[in-house]
Amino acid sequence: MKVRVKQIGPATHPSEVVVSVDTTSGAEHLVVNQRSLKDDRLEIGYPINSRDSDLLVELPRETINGSWRVWVPQALVE
Amino acid sequence: MILTDREIQIALQNEAIVIDPAPDLSFYSSTSLDLTLDRRLTLFKDPKAGISLCIDPSQKGYNHEEVMAEITTPVDIDDVHGFDFPPHHMILAWTREFVELKFQSRIAARVEGKSSLARLGIGIHLTAPTIHAGFAGQIRLEMVNHNKVPVKLRTGMKICQLIFEQTLGTPVRGYEGRFSGQTTAKKG
Repeated sequence: MKVRVKQIGPATHPSEVVVSVDTTSGAEHLVVNQRSLKDDRLEIGYPINSRDSDLLVELPRETINGSWRVWVPQALVE
Repeated sequence: MILTDREIQIALQNEAIVIDPAPDLSFYSSTSLDLTLDRRLTLFKDPKAGISLCIDPSQKGYNHEEVMAEITTPVDIDDVHGFDFPPHHMILAWTREFVELKFQSRIAARVEGKSSLARLGIGIHLTAPTIHAGFAGQIRLEMVNHNKVPVKLRTGMKICQLIFEQTLGTPVRGYEGRFSGQTTAKKG
């Protein structure tokens, strides 16, 4: 499955890009390889858990704040 | 369990692991695979005299890449002269190889230094060696020269090694439609 993200800007290495994920507790930024991004969507595997209309997903990289798993609105996951 | 050279090659053939460009056979040892250094480096600037600088990564609104842009400068390794890694400095570097570990593959990895460089005082990571299942990208290295003299770095030199390990089971996100708390034991 994929989660929708927004591209924020370039990262330190030309192969990388900073993206933002709209989690239920605010935007989380992470650096990913450009090859991981397809139409502003990031592969995340299957959700870890669910709560009301939110899903717990594990991101492919640790966010800048140090999180791997984040709660996101279900509508962001395809 | 650590994968042997043979198992790594089978995993590459099955595309459980992707490495691009594909490694030469000489890059394997019995239980590891060497990776090489990318051209791009990130150098940390020396703080200007009289300016007090402190990074606060837990502050709300902290943007790592913006901070890094302020305190670092990108450098490409010179094809002829290489890059003289100054003593007692830290740089960020990347592997030339793109590495992907499929999250369904039951494989994770650790990036480790090479003894040939360790003996020269070169460390290639700072306490964060794990490559988790699902990772995709060129591996970022946090390199430190502990030596008293510069050590020359060249694009394409063997810089680190990957140790692949098979996980015990598949992570939750590798299971279709099974959420945490609904373990395989409970679901039968």
